[in-house]
Amino acid sequence: MEISKTSTGLKGLVSPDTVSTEVDIHQDGVTMVKSLCYFCHANCGVLAYVKDGDVIKIEGDPDYSNQGGLCCRGTSALLHVNHPARINHALKRVGAKGEGKWEKIPYDQAIQEVADRLNQIKDESGAEAVASAGGTTRTDDWARRRFLNQFGTPNGFHNALLCWIPTFMAETCVAGWSPFETDLAGAKCLILWGMNPGASTLGGMNGYTDLQKNGLKIVVVDPRYSETASKADLWLPLRPGSDAALALAMLHTIIYEGLVNWEFVGEWCDGFEELQEHVAEYTPEWAAPITWLEPDQIRQAARLYAMNTPGCIQWGCTWDQIGRASTTGSHAIALMRAVCGNLDVPGGDGMPGPALNYLTDEEMELNECLPEEQKAKQIGSNKFKLTSWPGYQMISDNAKRTWGKTLPTEWFCEAHGPSVFKAIITGDPYQVRALIVNATNPINSYGDAKMTLQALKQCEFLVVVDYWMTPTALFADYVFPAAGALERPTIVTHYGATDSIMGGRRAIQPKYDRHTDMTFWRKLGLACGQDPANWPWETEEEAYFHILEPLGLGGVESYNDFVDYYRMYYPPLHQNKFKANGFWTPSGKVECNSTILRELGYPGMPTYIGCIENEIDTPEIAEEYPIVLTTGGGFMPYHHSEHFQMQGIRYLYPDPYFSINPELAEKLNIAYGDWCWIETRRGRIKMRANVEPEVHPNVVFAPRGWWFPERDGSADLDNPFGCLESNVNVLTSVDDEHCDPMGGSWANRGLMCKVYKCGEYDKEYKKEDTQFSIPGSSSEPGVTVMPSDQKLAREPIPFEKPEPAEAVPEGYEWVWQSNTLYQKGTHFRLDESGWLINPRTKGYHDAHTGWRYDAANECLVDDETGKMYTMEREEIVFAAGVRCYPGQAAPYEVPENLTWNQEKGYATLGDKPYVYDPNSGWMLDPDNGAFHDANYGWLYDAATGHLVDEATGKHYDMSYAPVEE
Amino acid sequence: MTRYVMVIDQRRCIGCHSCTVACRTWNKLPLDIVYNPVVTEGAQGTWPNVHKSWQPLLCMHCENPECVPCCPSGASQQDEDGTVWVDPKKCLSCKVCVNACPYGMRDASHLEDRMHRYVRKCTFCRDKRQLDPSAQPYCVLTCHQKARIFGDLDDPNSEVSKLIGSVKTERLFEEFGTEPQIYYIPDLGGKA
Repeated sequence: MEISKTSTGLKGLVSPDTVSTEVDIHQDGVTMVKSLCYFCHANCGVLAYVKDGDVIKIEGDPDYSNQGGLCCRGTSALLHVNHPARINHALKRVGAKGEGKWEKIPYDQAIQEVADRLNQIKDESGAEAVASAGGTTRTDDWARRRFLNQFGTPNGFHNALLCWIPTFMAETCVAGWSPFETDLAGAKCLILWGMNPGASTLGGMNGYTDLQKNGLKIVVVDPRYSETASKADLWLPLRPGSDAALALAMLHTIIYEGLVNWEFVGEWCDGFEELQEHVAEYTPEWAAPITWLEPDQIRQAARLYAMNTPGCIQWGCTWDQIGRASTTGSHAIALMRAVCGNLDVPGGDGMPGPALNYLTDEEMELNECLPEEQKAKQIGSNKFKLTSWPGYQMISDNAKRTWGKTLPTEWFCEAHGPSVFKAIITGDPYQVRALIVNATNPINSYGDAKMTLQALKQCEFLVVVDYWMTPTALFADYVFPAAGALERPTIVTHYGATDSIMGGRRAIQPKYDRHTDMTFWRKLGLACGQDPANWPWETEEEAYFHILEPLGLGGVESYNDFVDYYRMYYPPLHQNKFKANGFWTPSGKVECNSTILRELGYPGMPTYIGCIENEIDTPEIAEEYPIVLTTGGGFMPYHHSEHFQMQGIRYLYPDPYFSINPELAEKLNIAYGDWCWIETRRGRIKMRANVEPEVHPNVVFAPRGWWFPERDGSADLDNPFGCLESNVNVLTSVDDEHCDPMGGSWANRGLMCKVYKCGEYDKEYKKEDTQFSIPGSSSEPGVTVMPSDQKLAREPIPFEKPEPAEAVPEGYEWVWQSNTLYQKGTHFRLDESGWLINPRTKGYHDAHTGWRYDAANECLVDDETGKMYTMEREEIVFAAGVRCYPGQAAPYEVPENLTWNQEKGYATLGDKPYVYDPNSGWMLDPDNGAFHDANYGWLYDAATGHLVDEATGKHYDMSYAPVEE
Repeated sequence: MTRYVMVIDQRRCIGCHSCTVACRTWNKLPLDIVYNPVVTEGAQGTWPNVHKSWQPLLCMHCENPECVPCCPSGASQQDEDGTVWVDPKKCLSCKVCVNACPYGMRDASHLEDRMHRYVRKCTFCRDKRQLDPSAQPYCVLTCHQKARIFGDLDDPNSEVSKLIGSVKTERLFEEFGTEPQIYYIPDLGGKA
């Protein structure tokens, strides 16, 4: 064999010839782009160094809130963008579903084929037969809703019910917006409740640690001794899933120990006495056996919070993941904040409200395109009303009346995801035939994974947009490649629920045939025949600029300008807004007994309901499944079900480990690293044991999201990519009766399980372990109860809305809570004075025409046409831009040599056609707007500064002295 | 003179492994090589009276390094600023230094073929500092918690000097006489 002298192999024999691994960012041709991280929605600042259209290096932005910090995920952005397993082209299924045989086709061809099929399904079964599942808030979801609304389906959904949305809605029912923006700099106390920033939002954790050093007291509520708990001042290790009981007992303590802010309660809280009576039974002694805390621990925490005001409670995912009691818990916490006077005050929980000076996500959604009859078809909206059209409509109308703008329908008004999956399997309430999955892997992220897997297998037409071949994508008919971090600009609008905005630029154009999410929805919409006028923006940059253009920021002529010069926009911190406006509820007060919740058929005050399985209410279950399971928490280095592909971080945590206390492990003969089964009534999964006293001796903590992308997905279609094997959602239940009757969320926390070591003959995941059932059960496979026949955890409470004392005039809505009329459509309030008041601008509008009162000009303005009207609603005539008063006597002093022309309504000079402008004292030519002097009618020549007698051509200076040429 | 050292504030470390991943990403390390692992013994004590802390590790850039004089080829060496590093061109991968290091902080990758293999270790991001003398190592920059502080001990105004002068710090295996230059502020359960 001949050895080539130029081969790199020969060089390699000597030694590596590259010494430095460092990428030189100062070399020629490198530009720095301000970008944002895209691997969780903390969206840390990233500086991307780009050369020849490729990113050569990234680093954390030292001038952003992350102060240069980037976690494992953020640092891996380049591994992600160039990962060999990424999907780079549109794939069309050519084999059987799940077989993994694909044909690469051009993106636009795939879009057209999908569009044709969707239109066909719409023609045959109605638009509602098409549903869509979305991912975390990183994917420009307004574009998805814009598509769905125009298409005509109400069945878009996310995992939003497990993440903030029920909490947000309950909080909004109490006080008019979610008080989620903690003002920590002025706070004395912070409760991190079911939240572990030490593993989820590291930038936040850094801030907490610094503030703690300066005296802030941090209380951590977590059943696990988490990264964050390890730094806490007070740690409340409650029983998983008992958060609502703890919140109610804390509320009881605060009220009955007289720790409320009486001044605030007296002035701003409606129905406080009712609440006081209502929570009388929720004593710490009542909560102790439910929460496994000592009554004194509960009192101590309540006192610490109530006596160190102002203080903050940071929202945590747990509130929305305890199943039946989820909204009850967040409702109680909302009232805790309120009675302590922590709402919207400096150092308390800020209530930003919607963005009033740039476009909200809602204004980008085209919700007006969705007909009322389609809204009524939203799956789950007859059951879980708070987070679907019935509740959203009430909350949204109220927001428009009080803030002037509202929440987006994405996230806040969605179909019930698990019910959509059940509808695919059962056809109940109707057959859902097509599902578009964007940026999510529902098998791993939604409850009852076995049922979800069945639904995806069974779905007639499945379209997936993703980075990777996920277990979900495996069953797709078409897979579209998604552009990822660095390939797209990013805008952070916090679910469209706040008034601040942050931005990052696109570092590089999408590689291969990858496209961004907005482009996908836009192309699909156009291919479906949607009006191109409704899809005016070809790129995100154009759309984002449209969003923030109303801000009118100086020097900003494009989205990239905004990122380069501003990067973020925060309105001036405006707290204590309620003092001027009242709270943004129908009654204008904090509603201790929420009228919106009552009108929806729910208790207006938080009323305890236990976990679906627990030692007290269901002892028979606890006997067989004696251990309490908690799951759903985030953990490094993964995010939801993402990043398992990336070796560069997977090596940190290659196998799924659940935490078990040494005491329990010893009893069960389990050693560190042993593979064990965790089993609930719904099924069982396998994980390895991490024996560590970070959890109670009767609790196990299992991480979420696990699947094994390194396996061959098609090899085992009962368990593709091992997506069920270690997936905690095999253990969860989404039966209607097990969901929160208000928000529809299901429980990841506080389930009853048993744990046993994998045995010699029982260590493989078998076919019977994968069998689905509705309702969830491992003993009775198949559909045994149709979804429509399933009960709710709580029957609706009938509510009779009071009748108005007087007939409501045409075109108005009567709000019974405040006995006030609001104009339909605009939602402007009809004032006692007979004027309409715009809640956003506080401006007055004419009740008959809607025209705005312009105080400076003492006239009415139609903002749509720009036309002006007199107070008698007569159109104001303008001649040469000068306001005229036809048929009237002169309203201003007319100079001597001019005559008042009553017919035309302005002063004239002789027979000249010019119009006298009383503001400037000049005569204006109505033909060309030229200026003429009011004595002789000579033309003003701006070039020379002279007056010119056009008849003679002679020039005069401004004192009428002739000018010699 | 310049003497680079690192202070690690264990009161702030939360075990997120960002430093480990940043280091391996930008120093392009093979999968079996980690310069700066973050280790923990897990929660200690009996639930609920437990405490947990994390120990980020890396080369100690000792004042009296065991790994330098033992090197037969002169590849393992120390700069004047204290940085201990290995020249890949000279390294024979004999691993004498790997055995000599009492901290176990250097090794050769077994994923690389024998002829390309050389002993690797943390260099306080020497390559990066050669391009930009004011640069900070990747593990320091990426730390959200600012638990790693890097600087010049000979500069009395540097943050490291001030910290070492004001807070009780510990060093690992001082009894070996290697004079390690990584200073730990231990997490004793108090607040940072």
